[in-house]
Amino acid sequence: MKRKVHYFLTCLAFLCIQGIFAQTKTVSGTVTDSDGGPLPGVNVLVQGTTNGTQTDFDGNYSIEASEGDVLSFSYLGTKTQNITVGASNTINLSMEEDASQLDEVVVTALGIKRQEKTLTYAQQTVDADEITKTRDINFLNSINGKTAGVEIKKSSSGAGGSTKIVLRGNKSLSGDSTPLFVIDGIPLANNRGGQPGMWGGTDSGDGLSALNPDDIASISILRGANAAMLYGSAGANGVVLITTKQGQAGKTTVSFNTGITFEDIIELPDLQFKYGAIGGAKESWSTTPGNYASNYVEDFFQTGQNVINSLSISGGNDRTTAYFSYSNTSATGITPNNTYSRNNISLKQSTKLLNDKLTISSNVILSLENSEGRLPSGYYLNPLTGLYFFPRERDFNDYRVNYERFDSTRNLWAQYWFVNDHHQSNPYWIIERQPRTQDNRRVIANLSLNYQIMDKLNLQVRGNYDYGNVIREQQHGATSNSTNVHPNGSWDYHKYDDRLVYTDAILSYDSNISNDFTLNALLGASYQKTNYGEGVRVTASSANGLFYPNEFYFQNLMTNVQVESTTNGEINKQGLFANATLGFKEMLFLDVGGRNDWASTLALTGNDSYFYPSVGLTAIVSEMFNLPEAITFGKFRISNTKVANEVPFNRINPQNTINNSGGVVRNTTKPFTDAKPEIITSTEFGADWRFFGNRLGLEFTWYNIKSEDQFVTVPLDASDPESEGRYTQKYINAGEIVNKGIELTVNGVPVRNDNFEWNTNINYTRNRSEIVDIGPDDERIINLGSSEGYSSRLVEGGRFNDLYVLKFRRDDQGRILFDDTGKPLRTTESELIGNLDPDFTLGWNNSFSFGRFNASMLINGVFGGKVFSQTESMLDGAGVSQRTADARDVGSVPVNGVVESSGAAVTSVDPETWFRFIGDRNGVGEMYVYDRTNIKLSQFSLGYDFNLEKLNLPWVKAASLSFVGNNLFFLKKEAPFDPEIAMSTNRNAVGLDNFNLPSTRNYGINLQVTF
Amino acid sequence: MKKFISAILMVMVLGACTKNFEETNTNPYEISGESLKQDFNHVGAFFPTMLGNIFGNQVEHNLANESFARHLATPTPFVGGVNNTTYYIRWNGYWNRIYNNVMAPANQVIAIAEEDGNDVFVEWANLIKVLAMQRLTVYHGPLIYTEYGLGKTGEYDSEEKLYSAFFADLDRIISVLSANTDYTGMSAFDASYGGDVAKWARFANSLRLRLAIRLSKVAPALAKAEGEKAIADPAGLILTNGDNFNISGYGQKYHPAVICFEWGDTRMSASMESILGGYKDPRVEAFFDPVTDMSLVSDHPDFPYKGIRNGATLVAKDDRLPYSTIDISFNDPGVVTQRKFMSADEVYFLLAEAALRGWTGAGDAATNYEMGVRTSFELWGIGGVDDYLADNVSIPLDYDDPKASGDVNDFVNRITSTVAWDEAADNETKLEKIITQKWIAAYTDSMEPWVDHRRTDYPKLPFNYQNDSNSDWGVIPADDFLRRMPFITSERENNPTGVADATSKLGGPDEIGTRLWWDTGGPNF
Repeated sequence: MKRKVHYFLTCLAFLCIQGIFAQTKTVSGTVTDSDGGPLPGVNVLVQGTTNGTQTDFDGNYSIEASEGDVLSFSYLGTKTQNITVGASNTINLSMEEDASQLDEVVVTALGIKRQEKTLTYAQQTVDADEITKTRDINFLNSINGKTAGVEIKKSSSGAGGSTKIVLRGNKSLSGDSTPLFVIDGIPLANNRGGQPGMWGGTDSGDGLSALNPDDIASISILRGANAAMLYGSAGANGVVLITTKQGQAGKTTVSFNTGITFEDIIELPDLQFKYGAIGGAKESWSTTPGNYASNYVEDFFQTGQNVINSLSISGGNDRTTAYFSYSNTSATGITPNNTYSRNNISLKQSTKLLNDKLTISSNVILSLENSEGRLPSGYYLNPLTGLYFFPRERDFNDYRVNYERFDSTRNLWAQYWFVNDHHQSNPYWIIERQPRTQDNRRVIANLSLNYQIMDKLNLQVRGNYDYGNVIREQQHGATSNSTNVHPNGSWDYHKYDDRLVYTDAILSYDSNISNDFTLNALLGASYQKTNYGEGVRVTASSANGLFYPNEFYFQNLMTNVQVESTTNGEINKQGLFANATLGFKEMLFLDVGGRNDWASTLALTGNDSYFYPSVGLTAIVSEMFNLPEAITFGKFRISNTKVANEVPFNRINPQNTINNSGGVVRNTTKPFTDAKPEIITSTEFGADWRFFGNRLGLEFTWYNIKSEDQFVTVPLDASDPESEGRYTQKYINAGEIVNKGIELTVNGVPVRNDNFEWNTNINYTRNRSEIVDIGPDDERIINLGSSEGYSSRLVEGGRFNDLYVLKFRRDDQGRILFDDTGKPLRTTESELIGNLDPDFTLGWNNSFSFGRFNASMLINGVFGGKVFSQTESMLDGAGVSQRTADARDVGSVPVNGVVESSGAAVTSVDPETWFRFIGDRNGVGEMYVYDRTNIKLSQFSLGYDFNLEKLNLPWVKAASLSFVGNNLFFLKKEAPFDPEIAMSTNRNAVGLDNFNLPSTRNYGINLQVTF
Repeated sequence: MKKFISAILMVMVLGACTKNFEETNTNPYEISGESLKQDFNHVGAFFPTMLGNIFGNQVEHNLANESFARHLATPTPFVGGVNNTTYYIRWNGYWNRIYNNVMAPANQVIAIAEEDGNDVFVEWANLIKVLAMQRLTVYHGPLIYTEYGLGKTGEYDSEEKLYSAFFADLDRIISVLSANTDYTGMSAFDASYGGDVAKWARFANSLRLRLAIRLSKVAPALAKAEGEKAIADPAGLILTNGDNFNISGYGQKYHPAVICFEWGDTRMSASMESILGGYKDPRVEAFFDPVTDMSLVSDHPDFPYKGIRNGATLVAKDDRLPYSTIDISFNDPGVVTQRKFMSADEVYFLLAEAALRGWTGAGDAATNYEMGVRTSFELWGIGGVDDYLADNVSIPLDYDDPKASGDVNDFVNRITSTVAWDEAADNETKLEKIITQKWIAAYTDSMEPWVDHRRTDYPKLPFNYQNDSNSDWGVIPADDFLRRMPFITSERENNPTGVADATSKLGGPDEIGTRLWWDTGGPNF
């Protein structure tokens, strides 16, 4: 709290100082339309600042600006005009109509610029302010709901954690369907570390957190292979295209941004504090009520705080522009000792040489990240298990204060906890004596040469080196939980490098062949080499101990502890690609492309070179026919693309491994020398229509993505003849997954007048997956995580992420069957109960501006689908959920059951018998499956642009203050936890909650000043 | 610039540079078959990893046969106290361990060794297969063995077929090993016998005797023929502790010590307490550690050991952690470097039973029985064997669980025989003495005692106190024991035809109460 107050005072002081200076002139004028009539609602902005205004009903405006400033006039349906302020105090102008406004040039794959109207596929862009507005440390989370066709799930692990993003559904039976991330046309290394599962583990982050959100100018989502085809197989799952800011010619602009947000938990599991344990048991199953302390659970959590300061300097002249930024993020989490800090530096410059024919650009991004005390999910070494399970009649405070006590038999400080149980430890011991740290260091450097060979012919050559170094460590103190840690302590340590080298050369030709025909063609080659996870690792376990307690370095490792060289593999991919867009009279555009890839992961197969084509057609109806005036623009598009995807590293001919006893473990995976690349065929059809002078826009896409020849792992059971008695698994190309979906975006400006403008944007996404073929064995079941009765499986005819759980056995009338001893009966095997994916999702984003105020509000809705909570099951089994107390208050649980053997009705069950049976591990999963449907207020912001005129600040170009809030509250939710928080951001453990950190909301203020 | 364009065009015309692809796509931290040829590791280096998987870990061993044989017991109420140890099957992983980590690599090694013309390594690997399979079959019954890897679809062998295949394989293995006793190529890889081929032949021959006795009730003629073959074979039998077949820990700790001391998940069993305490067996000092809290042993303060009943009703794990652990010496990988698989005491007890059954050459039952006890004492370095063998009074103790109220978990001893041999007694009494002593001596390898117990009903062990068996996996009556493990789920799902056929070969439902072939349920003689 002290820090909060301090922060506010600093801000206030800053604002007061502002008031002391001031000196600019007032520029005013009238804006008219092409017919000479006054045009209200035109945006007038001093470029490079947030100082802006709008024309009034009579087309008049007035704005504070200095000589040399550039005023930017923009209005939907017209061409934007930039005018430099001169000596005159009056600027009048007429806006030129721009029927389509889709002459707008957008950045597409490989950084190639194309007119948006010619695109034959869907592409949606989110602008910088949408990304930075939220002040979310993981910037990707802030685009959730702002585009269609995208599923984003935030990791439950907090700051620095990874983000799950899937575009148009899961397309692979074997890998996860993470899209490719690209910065300014160049692929970004994104090696996601390990993820938690049912039993434990911690999110180890991904390659995206290294970016400074303030450097981002826009993010474009290329949802389908159609858009991403030029990236080859890497783009098969779609591409997230990040464009960074660059220096602007003209006056030097300094922008400073400071923000603070606070983070609070939204909800905890519903726990009881009325009934304790009997006879020192670890489960609280007494039926005698007591009055026990309850605040220790909430007290474990704290308010997190996140301070972001960033500074950018941009400027240049006609020849050279430069952009520099520095940003510092410093956060504390919602649990003790959890901190995150990040420093980013980026320097980008561009220089024109040789009569402006050659442009040399470079960009260097440096990032240092440190995270401490990030918590795991799952059963093991998770403070939340002990915190929630703690038997109610005991004194938690004793264990909180005395999480360690001196053990005179060993002459060391030992963990103090009431029970020796693999599922739980003293929460404060884990926090204090099993500290976890992660350090990421990252450099991304690239150089680009662009040479205008002839008027219409251009050559671009680029090179990029992306280097990341990660050290991840957890020191487990002596006397930590003996299931996972040696009595002398154990050490988890992994240090590795991720490297990506990328170069490409693109020759492009843009020409008007005749009056009617235009041609944009390109021919290119690319080379990419990635080497991920190259490093050294030591793994903690009860058997992997230290010679001397609590000293964590290599020479103190017991001799049986294996020090491993690790690699996630080296992959070399080379590609040749060509693309041509032929335009006819600005109304028909034919797009043809092809790419040939060579992939090292297919070495030895003879299939390491493979080609795939794409074709698309766009028809701009509004150019072809005279449409009613209400229709401003209308377009249909269709495209069909094939993308081939290579197999993962080292699958063709794996070799033998050396184990920790020095023995050799024989490889029993069959060589896969006839491997072929996976083929993804994507067809999409779309329509983009705009009405009423662009006041209403509609974009619709239907797609069908067929993934065939999937790379599939097949266990070879002893009974399988293909095992040849030597192999226990093999890989095959088989299977087919089809994803079909609809994406709909509606943009509108329902209200626009002098004082008020409301922009609204609705994104609707619906994806259906079907496992058409799972391989030669139709009965094959592929498990995507199966533990404790929960399993997500792929079966033929099923869908991706089908959820299977144990159920009650019931008779024809649906009554639960009981055995003779009065226990309910459950199914032996897990059975299908639903699907984890939603039926559809809706994002509704609104922005409002009124005078100097602006506000935005994002509501995200997820409809349908299931989630599963092992947490609730465990809490029931341990008798600590409120549900179990309610049942004990009443004395029994009413059921509709029948004894299987006798047919006698069972109407009630003793609470302990009931909850220990349905709950705990391997309980009756169907009781813990919840509807995923939820609607939440995902974002809210309220901003104010300071009136610099009044403040009289000549050296400040713009200043604004905003309040921001994220994930604020649920308008509707069925599950007892936030179903949109992911335990794991890979494809496993989807929809599972097992002692995940509670979901949080955050809120705060942000100040931006431009000089 | 022109140069640059022409370079690009060259690439475009000539295609990419793919000549390093194979090297790129190779994991530098895996060892290739080619590299392994150095020092002949390409066959030899796999024996440690295959043998290292024979016993299995916690769920395949400690919470399975070690609990079923009642050597050790868990203080932990796993999965709400309802699990394998209370006859509700939660874990059934031994099958995959054996097939994936022993059988599949063994066949690869055999193929390489055959290519090299190295008969000894071929048969050595074949022997590993037999020793693994003869363990796995006592879990499930029918297995995939003769058809394994022959390209036919998932057919299980009946147990009858399995054993005849084992015997036929042992014939070939023993003859090759016996003919190559001067071969020294195994020494670098053999942590059991230091490459002594003759000792391997002796072990293989002793294994034949074990299997013969296993079948003595269900197929007496075959058993007798194979047993007598083993007795007469010049390869000899393991009759001294120096010939014992042990499997190295390869530097790792004895696994039950990890379970006991690190995870706190296993303790002395109540049956061990009852039998060792009642017989005043001095080997207890080598097997287990006494308790420090003497209030736990108020029923027998002069014998300060307390065990946990198998299939007990458990509330909190903490309750029984102070009970007797296994001996602390097991916790030091520098002291306990290997694990017993077959020892001279077992062979003497096998011979004793063979003598009772009138097998030629088996010798005298009394002598073999006493030699069995003596070699066991010698193995554990314990004195006082003469007094022990002379004790014709002591019988095992009744058991009291001091952490459970009333009669919960308590049992009354059912063993009436004493240690001392009684030549006048009937065969049934003699067999009880033999198998009871065999059960004690077998400590640390609980698989064969579990077999003997099912086959002969000896020793007269206590039943489960808590029995959670139900129709899910089959019902075990209150006065009976678990008889087998079900076929594994992935086989049930992916090879339903094979499992149906195997179930018919099993001769009963695929449940835990169905008796295996050699577990006839009939009289012992």
